[in-house]
Amino acid sequence: MKKIINSPETVVEDMLRGIVAANPQLALAEGMSVIYRKEMSKKVGLVSGGGSGHEPAHAGYVGRGMLDAAVSGNVFSSPDPERILEAIKRADSGKGVLLIIKNYSGDCMNFTMAQELAEMEDIEVDYVIVRDDVAVEDSLHSTGRRGIAGTVFVHKICGAMAETGGSLEQVKAVAEKTIANVRSIGMALSSCTIPAIGKPGFALAEDEMEIGMGIHGEPGVGRCKIMPAKELAEVMLDRIIRDFDKDGGIGGEVSLMVNGYGATPLMELFILNAEVGNILHEKGVTIYKTYVGNYMTALDMAGSSITLLRMDEELKSLLDAVVDTPALKGGA
Amino acid sequence: MSLELTSHDYVEYINRAAAKIASEGEYITELDAATGDGDHWTNINSGFKSLVSIGDDLAKMPIGDMFKKIGMTLMSSVGGSSGALYGSAYIAVAKALKDNVSIKIVDIQTIYCEMFAAIKKRGKVEAGQKTMIDAICPAIEVLKKAGEDCYSEKETLLMMKNAAIDGAQDTKYMEAVRGRAYYQKGKGVGHLDPGAVSMSMLIASFADYCIDKISV
Repeated sequence: MKKIINSPETVVEDMLRGIVAANPQLALAEGMSVIYRKEMSKKVGLVSGGGSGHEPAHAGYVGRGMLDAAVSGNVFSSPDPERILEAIKRADSGKGVLLIIKNYSGDCMNFTMAQELAEMEDIEVDYVIVRDDVAVEDSLHSTGRRGIAGTVFVHKICGAMAETGGSLEQVKAVAEKTIANVRSIGMALSSCTIPAIGKPGFALAEDEMEIGMGIHGEPGVGRCKIMPAKELAEVMLDRIIRDFDKDGGIGGEVSLMVNGYGATPLMELFILNAEVGNILHEKGVTIYKTYVGNYMTALDMAGSSITLLRMDEELKSLLDAVVDTPALKGGA
Repeated sequence: MSLELTSHDYVEYINRAAAKIASEGEYITELDAATGDGDHWTNINSGFKSLVSIGDDLAKMPIGDMFKKIGMTLMSSVGGSSGALYGSAYIAVAKALKDNVSIKIVDIQTIYCEMFAAIKKRGKVEAGQKTMIDAICPAIEVLKKAGEDCYSEKETLLMMKNAAIDGAQDTKYMEAVRGRAYYQKGKGVGHLDPGAVSMSMLIASFADYCIDKISV
């Protein structure tokens, strides 16, 4: 293992200190791994988090128009309820707090335990669970779909709704609407190395890739020979579109995110983006807004995910609203 | 003599369990790399190291408080799903044994029944779904049966230990419903569940400790 670290045990706290050093508008609750906005406004608080290793998620999305606090667990490991409670308290301005949870067993358990703790302290807390990864079969009796890069759209849209003064109920409703309309699929070219373990979690041969790979290196839908970007875009989009077809179809207009998993150069992400754009154009689907970059990573994994969000007027205006966070800025 | 453990004794068991877990790093990590993301051992090892570091305080506490402190410590130091599950399990035991001044053989059944119920509820799992409760469940069955059939304490503990180990081995044939093994094509069939294996090691260490204690 070759990494720029002090020691595997301190990677999370060391990283968080670096994030606040670069972003004076953010503060770190020491010992709690919680990053929060120094300036609070009177609005519904938004909290997300999960295991570390997905940077800039989620601390990079704390700021105006997105999250109010983000809580980090160890690498790929959910934070404990006490830390999540700390994040809830930092985000609470008396109008309630919404937790945005990615659908993993550990996160669901720890975040809902934190919700119970917060309610004991009279903080109103509700939550939504993002489950956008079409590589996993959706099912009610099991964990079901994972939450991956589509979560960033949920952060953005909820954040905008909260800034307009929406109630907890309204912010939750728009979160659920976003979740219902967002689909993603990932793929990996290489494994990633958890610092505390020191070696890659799995191996992919030089000429192999895996479609559907999760953001912790969880298995996808299958391995195959590496293919040109054009074909890859077809294979990945096909999965998403087939899933939309079970629920009313892809529609006429989507926003697109081509996300890097950490070790893939932007050049390759832009190449993939061009191919995805072509296919959508051929299908008569308009792309409202495109995001290309490293939004939800998996340490040093090489690979990418594609996310599509079906748009309507409400989602458009919320996606366009002003945002000012370390990892996402823009809007009028 | 019949079994009666104090908080001090339980901490001695924790020390032994921590040493056992620490020595199984490569094995558990290898199991977890097959179906999970390979961090189960790192997390649980850091949890038990934390318990060892506060052992002196734990040893002085009443039984109920000790279990609560163990639960809170594991919850924060293990993290992930295991932290939430171990935390919930020990806190449930703390509630059930809050008036106890010691742990006797009958309490062991209570301990594992409480843990089983708490993990089931928190993790939304049933027995047979390839999780840590598949090590606990057979241990409970044996304890119930041993109570009815009047086995000696030593026999009971030995049977409990073997049932937990066998239970963990049986996870090899089970399909995962929760957690990362679920994402695999074969739902983890053919692989042992690392959480059940580490749980069986803890139960086995506890049985061994108790047997040593009554064999003195």
